[in-house]
Amino acid sequence: MSTVEAEGAAAAAAAPDEGRRRGRLAVAQAVARRLIGALLVLWAAATAAFLAVYAAPGNTAYILLGTSERSPQAVAAVTAQWHLDRPLVTQYVDYVTGLLHGNFGTSYALNAPVAQVIFSQLGPSLQLALAGAVVAVGLALLSSVATAGRPWPSKIANAVEVVLVSLPEFWVAILLLFGISFRLGWFPIAGAYGFPSLVLPALALGLGICGMLSQLLRNGIELSLEEPYSLTARARGVSDLSLRLRHSVRHAALPVIHLTGYIVGGLLGGVVIVEQVFSRPGIGQTTLNAVNSKDLPVVLGVALLGSFAYVVISTIVDILAFLIDPRLRFANRRL
Amino acid sequence: MSVVRPRRTAAIAGAVAALAGALLLAGCVSSPGSTASTAAAAAGKPVSGGSLTYGVETEPATLNPQLNGQDKARVTLRNGYDNLFAVTDSGKVEAWLASGYTVAADEKTYTVTLRHGVTFWDGEAFNAAAVVKNIDEVLNPKYDAFGAAGPFSNVKSVTAAGDYTVVFTLKGVYSPFLITLANLPIISPNSYSKADVKAGGPDIAGTGPFILQSYTRGQDLVFVKNPKYNWAPATAQHTGPAYLDKVTVRFLPEASVRVGALQSGQVNVIEGVPGTSAALFKNNPGYRYISALNTGTPYSLYFNTKFGPSADIRVREAVRDAVDLNAIINSVYAGQRTRAWSAVSPEDPYFFDKAVVNTYGANPAAANKLLDAAGWTGPRENGYRTNSHGQVLKIVEYQDTNYVRDSRDVLLQAIQAQVKQTAGIDFDVQEVDDGTASTHLANGTYGTFDNSNTDPDGVDIAYHWLPAAAGGFINLAQASDPQLGKWIAAAQSTSDIAARAADYDALQQYVIDTKAYSLPLYEPADQIAAASDVHGLSFRTYFQIPESEYDVWIGK
Repeated sequence: MSTVEAEGAAAAAAAPDEGRRRGRLAVAQAVARRLIGALLVLWAAATAAFLAVYAAPGNTAYILLGTSERSPQAVAAVTAQWHLDRPLVTQYVDYVTGLLHGNFGTSYALNAPVAQVIFSQLGPSLQLALAGAVVAVGLALLSSVATAGRPWPSKIANAVEVVLVSLPEFWVAILLLFGISFRLGWFPIAGAYGFPSLVLPALALGLGICGMLSQLLRNGIELSLEEPYSLTARARGVSDLSLRLRHSVRHAALPVIHLTGYIVGGLLGGVVIVEQVFSRPGIGQTTLNAVNSKDLPVVLGVALLGSFAYVVISTIVDILAFLIDPRLRFANRRL
Repeated sequence: MSVVRPRRTAAIAGAVAALAGALLLAGCVSSPGSTASTAAAAAGKPVSGGSLTYGVETEPATLNPQLNGQDKARVTLRNGYDNLFAVTDSGKVEAWLASGYTVAADEKTYTVTLRHGVTFWDGEAFNAAAVVKNIDEVLNPKYDAFGAAGPFSNVKSVTAAGDYTVVFTLKGVYSPFLITLANLPIISPNSYSKADVKAGGPDIAGTGPFILQSYTRGQDLVFVKNPKYNWAPATAQHTGPAYLDKVTVRFLPEASVRVGALQSGQVNVIEGVPGTSAALFKNNPGYRYISALNTGTPYSLYFNTKFGPSADIRVREAVRDAVDLNAIINSVYAGQRTRAWSAVSPEDPYFFDKAVVNTYGANPAAANKLLDAAGWTGPRENGYRTNSHGQVLKIVEYQDTNYVRDSRDVLLQAIQAQVKQTAGIDFDVQEVDDGTASTHLANGTYGTFDNSNTDPDGVDIAYHWLPAAAGGFINLAQASDPQLGKWIAAAQSTSDIAARAADYDALQQYVIDTKAYSLPLYEPADQIAAASDVHGLSFRTYFQIPESEYDVWIGK
């Protein structure tokens, strides 16, 4: 690695054009490699989800019929209707072929195309996840900038954050519901009826992640405030707030960017629970219902969508990091 | 066609309900409407107009009322879709979309005359051709795999004899036919050619007092008044269009959220009030609270008579004697549920047999004596009885997590604890996913299976006590005694209520007292709670599930 680094540095110093060209090539190669990797991950996710769902116990026909109507004729009719008696390989090939044609299948339980079921539910979930992210990042910035390097405020904030990180989302959700919606009536209790109905779910979703982020940011800001450049900036007459916002936050934000995967994972998982408690429409409720009723096409569709979102975001983050931080281009060509 | 299938997620819902219950009991919630003045407002004369928001537990799996088998979805779909007949509390069928009927002397041919001037929302006329189309489709396995194999499979042919007369010919005498027909919602013939016929929705037109206007999955359904409605059933409290302009049905699967929504005035009515919250609304002048026991069969444990220790009648009797159900049910449901004794709901006007009441249970000494006699006399293992082969007296109950509601998990756990204490029985309650439960059910590898079902008029009795191949789709005890089939066949092939009741009484005494095939636990009930300004709420006569909002109005 040190050789590569030395080479890169030497080349960049010797011939700036050649250095830029090699830099661009490295970026292009890394991006291509990352994209191919992403496709492979998607295929693996689709296959793993298919096998997991197939291996789950129970006869789908029985589950679709419930307990009352389990007559041999009804079982035969449902099996034939959904082609449940085909061998695993045939089902897999059909499934993958369907995916390549953009066909995600038809929901057993809802009798509607999976793509339609999922996309009709995507909007409210995206709204919630975005709002949760805004809450998490916004409050984390506020808390860390305001308290970093200040012994008592930082101790108090730290204690609150530890509690927030430790509390499960459904518990936070219930406290918010009882405290703010039932008792004070400030926000609607459930549903997705515009901004007011988004506030409590976004808080329930974002507070836990906020706790983790602000601890990370505060630590980064505190380290940055001890750096010589901070002293220099102060000497230049830069105000404390401006120093924190302009310099320290930037430095502290770098590790946070690399935690984007964690944040997205937290948001996706949290959405399932928060939607249930607040009776919000969305992917989370759809997924829970599909899992409970063994609605395999919907479960597979959601699993695929989740891995797609994850892969896309982590690919973008990796590429962005690569573009932003020149050290990565030379230091680690195998992104 | 009834499957009790409330939606829920085990861990979250359980925890949410428990926490909510604790907070409610701790008095964290105030009730905004609980003042004497609101309670004093007299019902007065119904007023038209206004809109109502109804918080329900279950979002329909499909909005097509013919394909939806969820009892808990009926309160919602009933607003948009009418039936041919209404049924009075005494089980008599009354005119609705049908104006009358006659039965031929051989009891195999039913001639139904239809009401004139009825139209579906999509403008199609309601007539004999529409009814024939509906029945043909229900009997088509590609459209309705459940219905085609269910009670309608007794229909041999259905024909239109004129514009407003339909003739049904049955394969044999089938006495529950009229109730079965009365329970079928009718949709417009055009609906069957719509792309979303199976998922249902505004495209699937009915003749109901409300028109389904919009559906947001996971959130709500909006119904608006059907201004042309002039064909209410005789069981309704008024005629003409509905009073309300708009009904919004909101899906609130968490009980605590429904309760909180009503208390904070965010909805006007809720159904499915947990036992621990009933006290908040009962005898509270700010609210109305009504409840009704379900029809069909009580929530019961069915002993597997072909597998494990429960194949021995002495073990089955011992389990029943080892448990004091009155005490357990009172404690789990805070006195808000009715203990069951028989294989038929006490709500059934004709077929519930009182003779089995108080004939078993709460007798640990007898339980221990029976188990001693059955050879479970080995050294105890962790407090459980064993036999001479060292096997533990273990009866496994697979409780399907999809069907757990109304604290039924807590109820079974209480029984589990008590039978261990009083008789050394290992009643092992395992809450499992749908797939695992259905696999054990299909393989017959369970000790007990729990179930409640609501089909009235003896249909449920046939489901539970005929051999599986003969239509006993939920014969969870795996009872195969030919005598059971004879009683059911005799009851189904006569319209003489007294004769049918005698057959069903004999069956109940046999399965409960003679054979101990099941342990009936409690009778499920529906509850409605509403703000005190909501009037006209009721339960559907005979079926005892929450009625539509046709008669509901908002006053003071």
